[in-house]
Amino acid sequence: MTNFNWLLDGSIVGIYLLATMVAGLMVRKYVGKVEHFLVAGREMDVYLGIASLAATEFGIVTCMYTAQNGYEKGFAGSTPGILTAVAMLVVGFTGFVIKPLRDSGVMTIPELFEKKFGPRIRWASGVVIVLGGLLNMGVFLRTGGQFLVLVAGLDVKYLEIMMTALLVGVAVYTILGGMLSVLVTDYMQFIVMSAGLIVVTILILMNVGWENLVTTVETNYGAGGFNPFVNPTMGWSYVVFNLMLNTAAVLTWQTTIARVLAAKDTKTGQRVYTGTGFFFVCRFLIPGIWGIAALASLGPVANTLEAMPRYLSTAVPPGLMGLLIAAMLAADMSTDSSYMLTWGSVIYNDIMAPFRKTRWSEKRGLFWNRSIIAFIGIFLLLYGLWYPLKGDLWTYLGVTGTIYLASISVLLIACCYWPRANSWGAGAAIFISAVIPVTYLVMEQVSSTADLARSIGPYYSGIATYLLAAAAMLIGSLLKPGTNLREETA
Amino acid sequence: MPKHWFWWAMTTACVVWYSTITVYVAIKGGADIKHMLARLDATKAREDKEARED
Repeated sequence: MTNFNWLLDGSIVGIYLLATMVAGLMVRKYVGKVEHFLVAGREMDVYLGIASLAATEFGIVTCMYTAQNGYEKGFAGSTPGILTAVAMLVVGFTGFVIKPLRDSGVMTIPELFEKKFGPRIRWASGVVIVLGGLLNMGVFLRTGGQFLVLVAGLDVKYLEIMMTALLVGVAVYTILGGMLSVLVTDYMQFIVMSAGLIVVTILILMNVGWENLVTTVETNYGAGGFNPFVNPTMGWSYVVFNLMLNTAAVLTWQTTIARVLAAKDTKTGQRVYTGTGFFFVCRFLIPGIWGIAALASLGPVANTLEAMPRYLSTAVPPGLMGLLIAAMLAADMSTDSSYMLTWGSVIYNDIMAPFRKTRWSEKRGLFWNRSIIAFIGIFLLLYGLWYPLKGDLWTYLGVTGTIYLASISVLLIACCYWPRANSWGAGAAIFISAVIPVTYLVMEQVSSTADLARSIGPYYSGIATYLLAAAAMLIGSLLKPGTNLREETA
Repeated sequence: MPKHWFWWAMTTACVVWYSTITVYVAIKGGADIKHMLARLDATKAREDKEARED
């Protein structure tokens, strides 16, 4: 049984979807060049950047795994959000990495790598970015569908049809309007999403009560529910892994970096980072509180990922339910559109670079960019709706994200600040960063090695990836005789 | 002071900061979109004019 009312709540959701589609399609007339399509002609200002970055970085999948963290780990489950906020503020204030990156005038990170490490490393890093990003994005559709089905009380057999329709709608305005449609719809989605998140959180705090939330965490997890270092499922390895993971994501995650590259200047890019920094605490803590409220109300459940939507389906009254579902649709659509566009941009700009021996016309470039987004949409439908997820969602995202975060963050830092870095080091770092997480994922899926994967754990495997990628860059660069491309051309 | 003051302060800060920034960004972000589209329009008009002159 759910509080979703088809007339009242359905109308709110319908109006929201219609308004988003209209806004997304209206700006397509401003797209005349590839630069408009991929980086909005570099005309994005601070507040639009904050709205877009916040909307992109919060999808239903985010809400689900952060609520699962709250349900399973208490308040301590919000630790990754605090670590990300600190990283965002430090990078935003200092301009570490993002300043030289934006100053270079490139459209993607691998394009910068070509200047330092050569075309092969540009191509290889593009492949790694797309591989890691799309594997990561692969679970978005099913997880988002699980939330909507549970909250709205729909039959689970409609999950695939509903998410396919949603993805097709998002793909249409993204294919036509590119980054301009993404920015304008993100802005609307940020407002709807934020209104829903704030109102539902206030409702939960009023209904469940702060004391009840704290007592629930104390009863179920003791001190470990408040302190990640004494939580038996977290500990120092969890904190260190998440510090590395989130710092690397702040520096290199394609959807985040796309806002820096679309900003009208470097200072604007930095201000988008500082302005969005604290949002990352909200991104973990607000759904985390929803997860704790689910634990307080439902008690232990078999599927912890579904606890929060099951709780909300009866805790949120009609009318507000429409706002909640519109907010979550907004969150999901903004994430999907941005992910499709930004990973598509790497495929076009970097992986397809060797095939563009001569300069392509703007029309041809736009055609290929739009086709790539359509292909990504098809991939998401196939992989996203059929991949059986094992283990918890945040860990899956962390492990698949590490495939590229470890190598690309090491390459980017070395590219910007270490003159001795060269293609040997870059190649070695990419190889190491891909092999360890992929091996871990395969071991986790194969029954004969699943126990070994469990005993190593995702955190040690993740930490090892970052450290070994850095070591590979150092050793590889020092072993190569001669100098790097930038020095040769200087 | 509520029990576990750190998480209480964080939760309060989230609700207050997020509510404030939502209203602020909603107002200023709308203006950003307007200016961004105006700049793109102006650039397109200039490029069209240059193309005609060529």
